[in-house]
Amino acid sequence: MKSHFISDSDFSKFVESLIRSVRVVAPVAKKTKFSFETLESVSDLRLDYDVTILPPKKAIMPVKQELVRFNGNSIESAISAQDQVLLGVHFYDVKAIDMLDELFSQGHKDYNWLAYRQHTTIIASNVQKVSNRAFFASVGQGVQAKGHDGFLTKVSGGYVFDAISPKAEALVKQGTFKDASPAQVTEAKVANEKVLKECPETLKHSTEAVQKKVREAFKKEELWKQFSDQCFSCGSCNIVCPTCYCFDVQDEWNLDGTSGKRCRTWDGCMLGEFAQVSLGGGHTENFREERHTRFRHRMMRKATYLNDKLNGPACVGCGRCSSSCVPDIADPVKIINKIMEA
Amino acid sequence: MSCDCHTDFPNIFLPREAEIVRADQVTASEKHFTLKMKDGKPMEYNPGQILEVSVHGFGEIPIGFASSPTRKNTFDIVIRTVGRVSTAINKLGKGDSLFVRGPLGTGFSLEKLRGHPILIVAGGIGLCPTRSLIQYVLDRRDEFKSFKLFFGSKSPKDQLFLDDLAQWRGSEHVEYLETVDKGEEGWKGNVGVITTLFAKTKIDPDTRVIVCGPPIMYKFVMRELDKLGIPHDNVYVDLERRMKCGLGKCGHCQMNDKYVCFDGPVFSFKDIEHLEEAFS
Repeated sequence: MKSHFISDSDFSKFVESLIRSVRVVAPVAKKTKFSFETLESVSDLRLDYDVTILPPKKAIMPVKQELVRFNGNSIESAISAQDQVLLGVHFYDVKAIDMLDELFSQGHKDYNWLAYRQHTTIIASNVQKVSNRAFFASVGQGVQAKGHDGFLTKVSGGYVFDAISPKAEALVKQGTFKDASPAQVTEAKVANEKVLKECPETLKHSTEAVQKKVREAFKKEELWKQFSDQCFSCGSCNIVCPTCYCFDVQDEWNLDGTSGKRCRTWDGCMLGEFAQVSLGGGHTENFREERHTRFRHRMMRKATYLNDKLNGPACVGCGRCSSSCVPDIADPVKIINKIMEA
Repeated sequence: MSCDCHTDFPNIFLPREAEIVRADQVTASEKHFTLKMKDGKPMEYNPGQILEVSVHGFGEIPIGFASSPTRKNTFDIVIRTVGRVSTAINKLGKGDSLFVRGPLGTGFSLEKLRGHPILIVAGGIGLCPTRSLIQYVLDRRDEFKSFKLFFGSKSPKDQLFLDDLAQWRGSEHVEYLETVDKGEEGWKGNVGVITTLFAKTKIDPDTRVIVCGPPIMYKFVMRELDKLGIPHDNVYVDLERRMKCGLGKCGHCQMNDKYVCFDGPVFSFKDIEHLEEAFS
């Protein structure tokens, strides 16, 4: 890996030229918040964002994605991936994308994720401002961010750019990059270490201790009922989560009435009907009918169930669920710390 | 701008076309289909596995194979009219096409059943997926010891596979016992829940037991099996959950940390009895 330096003005020129050659998805302002969008101009780029409303996974698996297309009795794959650059991804979201790479690869390989992922170059960037619910410093400490191609860190007068993959080295050739000086490398290192001390919230126990105790708390029905007492079952915590990947699959007709498509859309295990089956005659069986059983399932998935597959929790500490929850009961830090202390 | 689109990837959601070679309305709400793959490549599966069946524009549903892979070239499924997709499927008939993805999931572990007495306990539509194993045992009868089959239905008119039942009633290859929750005029058989059949036969403690039925049934059947001293790792259950993808990804069928569509739908009872969400 090589560390380069690019000045602020050269960085702007570099991004402008990048936009002209490839789709660039990057954080832009959306009123008082931030969102990953296709970048139209470098002046829209906001690498000083704290956290985006939705995670950058949407650039790889959009909220609604075509899987197959049919016409009469013929049917074809809808996979069609174009090269893109995902710019300005914070390290916690890099971790989340890496987890989804793993989960969509295990067992049946799902190229409806993997194809788009393979054609995505990820240029991460340092957290310049910590969001007010972040706890990324204390969650899954043994899990390293990986899978990204390069990493930008804001330093005085420009950026230090760590080129990790050959794709990143190729990008370096398109801009006016110099070798980073030892002082610049140190400045970047300090900035990335400093931000880990600025999280407003902290998980107090290790991943392993949390996994064990949260799993053992499954049958503490009263506790889960207390946690979920004010839950609307709205699914916001699922939808904003960078590691949630549950989906629904539905068919849609085109206007011609003979052709159409089968799509998947993001789904959420907190929604009332998520695990419900029809039995016929209007009867149903819901395998997680009560609200607290769904609330518990989400926490189990984040802190225990997937740990063995991922070598860590399925949570990266972005704090999006905490800030999106209207009654403010979804915060994993509050839930887990309370279970650990119970 | 030209599109540099990359499309050359396998797609696990792409189904294959199957022709309906036979379609019988077997009860007021259930239709029995026999399918044949249009591409000529036979469906190769294990008893107990599932497949996703779809109709373009209506969607997909997960269904268990209702016939044994020992019956070559075609395979059976039974669809109960319940929702949008099953209603669309059940409007189709001979010569029409269905689209299928599979086989998916984990079926019965035949090597663990071979050489032992077999008891299958099927409630209601639970007879459909277990029929893949029933036929298998009947077709490879020498590989297994005694074979008993318990079948319980709500009422005589809810019974499925009437031709099979008639054959099994008189068969020397299977000891078939049946019951209905509620009798009706003309019904001379047993009336009562499925567990009432346990008193009517002697069950070898070495028996490998397969249970498939409505969620409520498991705990009562397990009580009977415990009385007989049958170890839990000799009991296999075939479970139902909401499934969408059938691939262990979409999350709908998750039961604690297991994906019923991928890790199951057939599980050893011992492997999942500790899971709080398995039988609650």
